Amino acid sequence: MNQADVTKLVSKLRIKVPDQHRRLRSPKGPEGRLDKLRKTVTGLIKFERIELNHHRADEARQYAERLISEAILHGDCHKPTMEIADYWLLEKELLHKLFKVLVPRFENSNTAFTKMYKAPKASSGRNIDKAILELRGNPYPLLTNKHSNNRYLLQNVLLDAAKYEYRQAKYAEMADKIGKNEEISQPKSDDVAKSKPINEV
Amino acid sequence: MKQHSMRISKSLLLNNSTKCFSTLRCLSTAEAVERRNHLYKLEKKRQLEKVGRIEKIEVNYKGVPKDCTLVMNKDISTPYDCAKHFSEWHIETSALALLDGTIHWDMHRPLTESCTLEFQSFNVAEPQQVNKAFWRSCCLVLGACASVAFKDTVPVVLHSFPGPDIRSGSFIYDVDLPTLPDWQPSAQELHTLAAEYIKLSRRKLPIDRLDVSEELALEMFVDNPHKTGQIPSIAKTNGKVTLYKIDKHVDISKGPMISNSGQIGKVAVTAVHKLTGECKVQK
Repeated sequence: MNQADVTKLVSKLRIKVPDQHRRLRSPKGPEGRLDKLRKTVTGLIKFERIELNHHRADEARQYAERLISEAILHGDCHKPTMEIADYWLLEKELLHKLFKVLVPRFENSNTAFTKMYKAPKASSGRNIDKAILELRGNPYPLLTNKHSNNRYLLQNVLLDAAKYEYRQAKYAEMADKIGKNEEISQPKSDDVAKSKPINEV
Repeated sequence: MKQHSMRISKSLLLNNSTKCFSTLRCLSTAEAVERRNHLYKLEKKRQLEKVGRIEKIEVNYKGVPKDCTLVMNKDISTPYDCAKHFSEWHIETSALALLDGTIHWDMHRPLTESCTLEFQSFNVAEPQQVNKAFWRSCCLVLGACASVAFKDTVPVVLHSFPGPDIRSGSFIYDVDLPTLPDWQPSAQELHTLAAEYIKLSRRKLPIDRLDVSEELALEMFVDNPHKTGQIPSIAKTNGKVTLYKIDKHVDISKGPMISNSGQIGKVAVTAVHKLTGECKVQK
């Protein structure tokens, strides 16, 4: 079989890709769906962090990941890659950003290039899952709490105290066991001591 | 902090002497709370009127979304008012304000001069002071619910809240129950106390602060022999006593406290301990 190894031809994405694509209903059909996704991918590359509906974010994320990985794989002198980038980026100055900013940023990374968070839903209005999609290494402040390992946090103080208590209980248990073992072993040695003289006699 | 259950022990200071009744002036606990609340309101109003001509101060805010300068009213605007200029998130999560990077300031205490302002939530990099304020506020609310939980026939005399042992995850309030010398609460009664607590915390009541003179503090706590005993030593340094109010309950504490009772979340009252050592001192 002289079949080429597919995994080396197509860049492998570092995110989970579902079996089926989402339809993202649009009056223009599949073309309208792609238009929507192109807008989102362009927005993501431009602003680096966007908030949108979860379905559209998850769908666009895959295309953005693919676009960046192609750009890294082939560089800006590769014609097909340039065509793909030209198709996905509606604003042409972003082509320069893709190849001159994002490719150097992600060249040596071994994780996904984008990150997606669940966003809070609006308290009123349509009940739609929201998401925040961002490029890694963006200049904005972190969305998650970066101090979760801080041992002075209220929860961590309580957890540490609970762990300490548990450990102390375990130590006490072990000490008890050792004490009992010694008690059992000591009478034995006494027996031996007693038995010896008897034998001698 | 929400939905974190914690263990609480509530101490009972037992004072078998009936000496304290002489100063009670036949006020029930509820009436005394009402009276204290009324005096507090009057004093607050008086202090606000004393401000007179409104002067402006510049508050340099540091933090998200971006650093900026707010022009606020001197002796009227609080850090809470500043937070209202930003977003609901700032209002809900800020527990303390940090002035000039060093002074921890209550959210509901008026600003007195131009300063830089940062908001401190429970997950800042150095949360020790916020944690202390949290436990202190928990104690304050425990006192508030202890004073409303009992029937009118049972006088409740609050003593004080010693600093809690943070590592145990519990907080305490010393209460004197003259008519219940050997009270052993049933599980149902403890549950009721905890329910009272949660009801109070769910109302998201702001914890208000006021500095009053020693005489007024003595007047407010005239029905409480323990507190009147403590006031002179508290006021020794500058002649002022710092009062905190939640709902109608007024208590003495040096502060600072967190912004509102909604930040406390769920708790459970787990035990009532009998204190006998203090008893002799009281007699």
